[in-house]
Amino acid sequence: MSNLLSILILLPVLSALACYIVRSGAVRRLVVTVTGGVLSVASVALLLRGSFEAWSPGTLFGLSWDLIITVLDFALLGVILYYGFKLKSLFIQIFTLAQIVLLSVFEFIIVEHVAVPAFRADNLSLIMVLIVSIIGSLICIFGLPYMNRHEKHLNLQKTKQPEFFFYLVIFLGAMNGLVLANNILWLYFFFEVTSLCSFRLIGHDGTKVAVANATRALWMNSFGGLGFVVGMMLAYNAVETLSIAALLTAGPQGALALTGVALICFAGFVKAAQVPFQSWLLGAMVAPTPVSALLHSSTMVKAGVYIVLRLAPAYQGTLLSDTIAICGAFTFVACAALAIGQSNGKKILAYSTISNLGLIVACAGLNTPLAITAAIMLIIFHAVSKSLLFLCVGTIEQEIGSRDIEDMRGLYERMPRTSFLAITGVLTMLLPPFGVLLGKWMAIEAAAGSIWVIIMLALGSALTVVYWARWGGGMMGSRKPGQPSESLPLLINLPLMLLCIGAVGLSAATPAIYANLIQPMLSSAALAVNTTTGSLGAFAVYGLYIALGLGLFVAFRAGRRAPVLRKVGPYMGGANLGEDGSFNGPMNQPVAFGAGNLYLSELFGEQKLTMWVNIAGAALLVLMIGGGL
Amino acid sequence: MKYVILAFIGLVVAPLAGGLLAGIDRRITARLQSRQGPPIRQALYDVLKLFGKEGLALNKWQIICAWVYLIAAALACTLFFLQSDLLLIFFVQAVGAVFLVMGAMAGRSPYSQVGAQRELIQVLTYEPLLVLVFVCMYLAAGSFNISDILAVESPLLAQLPLAYIVLTYILTIKLRKSPFDFSTSHHGHQELVKGVLTEYSGPYLALTEVAHWYETVLLLGVCALFWTTNWLWMAVLLMATYFLELVIDNTMARMTWRWMLKYVWGIGLAMSVVNLIWLYAG
Amino acid sequence: MFKSLIKNSRAKSPWIMHFDCGSCNGCDIEVLACLTPLYDVERFGVVNVGNPKHADVLLVTGTVNHRNKKVLKNLYDQMPEPKAVIAIGACGATGGVFRDAYNVVGGVDKVIPVDVYVPGCPAKPEAIIDGVVEGLKKFQQKVEQAG
Ligand code: SF4
Repeated sequence: MSNLLSILILLPVLSALACYIVRSGAVRRLVVTVTGGVLSVASVALLLRGSFEAWSPGTLFGLSWDLIITVLDFALLGVILYYGFKLKSLFIQIFTLAQIVLLSVFEFIIVEHVAVPAFRADNLSLIMVLIVSIIGSLICIFGLPYMNRHEKHLNLQKTKQPEFFFYLVIFLGAMNGLVLANNILWLYFFFEVTSLCSFRLIGHDGTKVAVANATRALWMNSFGGLGFVVGMMLAYNAVETLSIAALLTAGPQGALALTGVALICFAGFVKAAQVPFQSWLLGAMVAPTPVSALLHSSTMVKAGVYIVLRLAPAYQGTLLSDTIAICGAFTFVACAALAIGQSNGKKILAYSTISNLGLIVACAGLNTPLAITAAIMLIIFHAVSKSLLFLCVGTIEQEIGSRDIEDMRGLYERMPRTSFLAITGVLTMLLPPFGVLLGKWMAIEAAAGSIWVIIMLALGSALTVVYWARWGGGMMGSRKPGQPSESLPLLINLPLMLLCIGAVGLSAATPAIYANLIQPMLSSAALAVNTTTGSLGAFAVYGLYIALGLGLFVAFRAGRRAPVLRKVGPYMGGANLGEDGSFNGPMNQPVAFGAGNLYLSELFGEQKLTMWVNIAGAALLVLMIGGGL
Repeated sequence: MKYVILAFIGLVVAPLAGGLLAGIDRRITARLQSRQGPPIRQALYDVLKLFGKEGLALNKWQIICAWVYLIAAALACTLFFLQSDLLLIFFVQAVGAVFLVMGAMAGRSPYSQVGAQRELIQVLTYEPLLVLVFVCMYLAAGSFNISDILAVESPLLAQLPLAYIVLTYILTIKLRKSPFDFSTSHHGHQELVKGVLTEYSGPYLALTEVAHWYETVLLLGVCALFWTTNWLWMAVLLMATYFLELVIDNTMARMTWRWMLKYVWGIGLAMSVVNLIWLYAG
Repeated sequence: MFKSLIKNSRAKSPWIMHFDCGSCNGCDIEVLACLTPLYDVERFGVVNVGNPKHADVLLVTGTVNHRNKKVLKNLYDQMPEPKAVIAIGACGATGGVFRDAYNVVGGVDKVIPVDVYVPGCPAKPEAIIDGVVEGLKKFQQKVEQAG
């Protein structure tokens, strides 16, 4: 046990240091790949050992780990404060100073330092560890060739990759620590590490925009951190323990404690970029693609929803729970609507991520076993599909020099392999029999009892269809027979392939995941579980999913087997000129034709909507925190 | 055995019924225009003829998409007759709808591309309403399962009158009737030619046509769920609804998507919410 | 059995596409008159589609000129097999009264193969309907010859 945990948390730290100190590309390549492999194996091994109740590390050179974490915590806040002064950001300074003061009060005056188990893992934690270690590692590996090309493109004199991989790899360790932590102070520490890493990674390219966006990300997350500290103090006040497990078994505990929980959830909301804090995640798009993939699919943002989901038993059955559901559902529908107005591929992915996180938060707020199941399903499948999509967009961007979906029209012609993977990614986000949809289905069933949430979910899922379908469809195109497909470096090809296989294959394993991982946890958690009735019958119709999968297969075969068609151009009133996409216009001159997507900007434009969304989101947040009282 | 028969009905009888219904539709439309109109079996002849023609499409993606559209529609319809979960049926038919759009976007054809955009807006318009109608049915019958909905004691229509009206809006959009027929204008010489179907020909066009028959039957099936206690009244309800659709089709002009989105969302959401509140209160 | 069903259906569902090549509009009006309640060709399953990719029969009215001969050819090429072409009116057959004009190429058959000529200036709706029926017979023959 201790070995596995130290591999999962400390190995990334060591590897990160190795990347930082040894600046050679070959060593970095080796270290990152090996670390990725070891982490993946270790996470599976941890899963096989199953959940455990409590485990604490011993001491290091005679110092207790609790003390080390405390010291590191203050050091970390010091670093953030340093950046606050360096960037002249008043927000960062205020929020961080407040955190330092409050944390000192908390650590040195309020808390009685009794030993609390540092780590604990239930199946939710184990699933998160799997996601972080496997998907995160794949993204890091993908980053190796990607960053080489990226730097070539930027014409850098001196490579900045050691720094980049330092933060990227250390991130994995921090995330593993975060999801396994049981001592709330440890959780806070890891939470802050992820904030700092993401700040450094977003600002990696050092351009003006990058620095500005990184600053915004840091101040927002410091704000969240401040909420966390206050929430932690209030919660401690009520239950007198640092152990999260104890907090959860205690259940809802009076108004003040509930406000504490609400504030911790608020920190999670910021981390998960829920409205009105979506802007930091959108700004994070300036970073190199592996960062976006890592932040948006498997780690950073998932930390936010993880915290909200983790605390679900602590607010079950309260008004807070209902308001969390409404906040989440609102984010779901608002960001889906904003995504429609976008043609920038990465921005669409970002909005879609926020919107899906909103759905997960809404499920946590609904707080029935079915809803929690839906939330966990969504976390798993969203992580796989979304990282696949991000990496595909990154690959496409390096090839065609644009991330606009209009430029990806008919991309199949040029990059058949990548666009096929991307189309598969889109389908797995959108349609049955794939896992994300299964989660959405369960979420809708779970929400059927609460009128506002269900309306928002219904609207949101229809909006989602629009932006995915037109992107996926647009990438399809004609290809001349016999033309070779594009060649990709192995370390790019492999993660893409694995993620694609994972996205499709895992969906087939849904019943197994449910029966082995989610169900046992729900019955052990303090939830009123009733799996016999209700819509968990979703899994009884599994055969139908097979039918649908078979249908897709048949269709693809029919398409492949279709006879070679006579070459005929599109209908252009008969005025086509050959096949080059132009028609015979006035004065016998060729006129090019084409069609663009309808972005419905008069309804869903960013400028139009953002302000209202932010106002409504902020109001809902206030309602939510007030709901605790 | 019962399920085999039901599956057979869903898979084989339903599209034939849908085809005949399409013929009846054309016949009644002709009568409304004081013409004689084609024979009832006309739609079947059309599709059979199409199967005998040369297939043309811009690329293989289009062919794949046409097949998926058909298979998803057939599966959704079969699931309906097997009395499965309404939401499941909804999602399976959504597969077809999405692939129809993607197929239209796969080629470089302005007409089908524009059709695809409009079709997406149609999907955007009816999907949330359909989900809300299903939620209404869930609240009234206590389950999303059709077998449970069939077991209700009194017709759902009594509890869900507004939801039924919302459903007729959805029906008009789904059946591609005026004023909402702007993604595949069914009179083929309007500004959009045939919208999403423009680039399909021969057997591939036939596939989409058969898929449309499945969808028609599926939607009328959903309508039928509103009066399950008496066969006669169910038939009357269906006939009245379909005739209403025809009259609307023949008396309305095509409108724009802006109007549709605002009008249908406005009316549809308001009615569903009112009906939902009744159910919660009741 | 399926084959014979298809064969029978062919004659019962001729989808026509009407292309006004360079007509004085006289013949066009007569073609459209066929669709009115008086003649109601939909009785025979005739549908006026606006797209060569869905059409079985191409009805061409008017003369071919240098500007539109390419369009006519394109439309014909975009129709799926089996297909038939019917040239309507004196113009469609030979160029009619316009045949000596400087820009006129001549009848439809100068550009694409024509199966049936419907004479008249303009052609009567009855004649056009007869022409379509005749065209269907031709096209049945073509299919049989092709095997
Ligand atoms: S045949 Fe006569 S009516 Fe017909 S287009 Fe020629 S001139 Fe006009």
